Amino acid sequence: MLELTGVCKFFGKNEILKGVNLKVDSGDVVVILGPSGSGKTTLLRCINFLEIADKGTMVFGDKTIQLRRAKKSEVAFVRKKTSFVFQNYNLFNNKTALENVTEGLIYGRKIPAKEARDIGVKALEKVGMLDRSDFYPSQLSGGQQQRVGIARAIAGNPDVILFDEPTSALDPELIGEVLGIMKKLAAKEGTTMIVVTHEMSFAQSVATKVIFMDSGVILEEGEPREFFVHPRHERTKQFLRSILYETEYNI
Amino acid sequence: MFRYRLDVAWEYLFKLLPYLSVTLFYMGGALTIGIVFGAFMAMMKLGKNRPLKYFAIGYTAVMRSLPPIILIFLVYHGVPLAVRRMFQVNLSGMNTVYFVILALGLSSVATLSEIMKSAYLSVSGGQYEAAVSNGFTPFQAFRRIMFPQALRVSIPNLSSALIILMKEGSLGYTIGLIDIMGRADLLNSTSYGNDIYEIFFTLAAIYWLASILIDGGCHFIENRLSLERKIELNEIKKAGMIAAAEQGGIVRGS
Ligand SMILES: Nc1ncnc2c1ncn2[C@@H]1O[C@H](COP(=O)(O)OP(=O)(O)O)[C@@H](O)[C@H]1O
Ligand SMILES: [Mg+2]
Repeated sequence: MLELTGVCKFFGKNEILKGVNLKVDSGDVVVILGPSGSGKTTLLRCINFLEIADKGTMVFGDKTIQLRRAKKSEVAFVRKKTSFVFQNYNLFNNKTALENVTEGLIYGRKIPAKEARDIGVKALEKVGMLDRSDFYPSQLSGGQQQRVGIARAIAGNPDVILFDEPTSALDPELIGEVLGIMKKLAAKEGTTMIVVTHEMSFAQSVATKVIFMDSGVILEEGEPREFFVHPRHERTKQFLRSILYETEYNI
Repeated sequence: MFRYRLDVAWEYLFKLLPYLSVTLFYMGGALTIGIVFGAFMAMMKLGKNRPLKYFAIGYTAVMRSLPPIILIFLVYHGVPLAVRRMFQVNLSGMNTVYFVILALGLSSVATLSEIMKSAYLSVSGGQYEAAVSNGFTPFQAFRRIMFPQALRVSIPNLSSALIILMKEGSLGYTIGLIDIMGRADLLNSTSYGNDIYEIFFTLAAIYWLASILIDGGCHFIENRLSLERKIELNEIKKAGMIAAAEQGGIVRGS
């Protein structure tokens, strides 16, 4: 459904992505792991055209798009088919929870306001935030804001949702509520997702594919079982050890 | 012995007040120029085009350093000269207020572009990205998300800028502008300086009141636009709905 080939991205002289290939099928939950600074965020941003890659191709459905020279219509097409959940939520602070979900439908997708409202209510219900639909982001906890962020992402019924460390800005006791919703989306709705996260439990229990990125390349990828039990590269083993150690340490 | 004659001051108040319209006129004119061109200049400062960006930064730096009196002199003497040279048009009959508007407008462009730029930057860029990623066009993202929040942030600074504009314009009397300042100066001459305190204290009081009004008006608008107010209205609406529901319950129950 979505296939990236040879994605390269420079920031100035630094090559941050060095020819990344990624294939996502419908219903996949792809978890991307990797140390900080390895280019995970940049990769997701390139998919959503929040960053323009310097090289690479995207095949999305029956469309083939040159990332570097994507036309406006192609960008709009991809943004319609994908949505982004941000690390720090990025809710619209001047809009209520419900408006946060519906505005994109009304202005981005030209859905009539009334219909958008119905969709928005359903989306908020799915993330358990319907009773907060009139609240402004400043009145919500981090976990609640991120749940609204997820409602905003699912409302447009995208083919793929991109999650960039959706729980890493949250207090530990709020992480569960957000991960729970993501798990539900994967299990019940078969939502296709690409998830950058350090939550190993999520990766182990939900992922259909795990990818390990290091210094702008995909070093290793595989099914979660294989990946976690028999990591091939020394670098992957090191990373997994450091994460597991950190998890134990936190406990 | 010094004796302040309130009745005389009172009379001068009514001789000065009509000329407040001139003061308001140049403020409005300069503000309009400042907002329109300041918006473009703020875009240049925030944009990626290097030459435009450096032009905007340079312009602001120069304007900031310039005492307004110099700007007024340069515009008053320089513009008619340049226009005569270039277009063979004689501007000597033109009302001085337009020169004051142009001079103040030129510096307002710099001031307001700075205010707009910093207000825009105070709204987190992530919201813009979230908007375009949600399918908003860049203009819609600006119009619906960034602008309302930036506007609210900018109002206290706009208020200060307006008050500064009002005061700087009083320098227009040096090129013969008859606003409240020019009028006061004229009245002072015709009374041979005998009423100087009555005139200028009255004048000061007018400026003082005007700046209180500007400040108050801006506060009012700021409150109107504030998130706190939106939240409060929401609470009231919700409370109203609960009350209505409860009342409905009582009726049904009885
Ligand atoms: N806008 C930018 N300008 C310059 N460098 C950037 C920019 N965004 C990211 N980088 C750099 O790219 C590298 C990868 O960043 P990122 O994709 O955020 O990594 P990750 O999400 O894996 O932690 C980092 O070294 C970061 O400093
Ligand atoms: Mg990141």
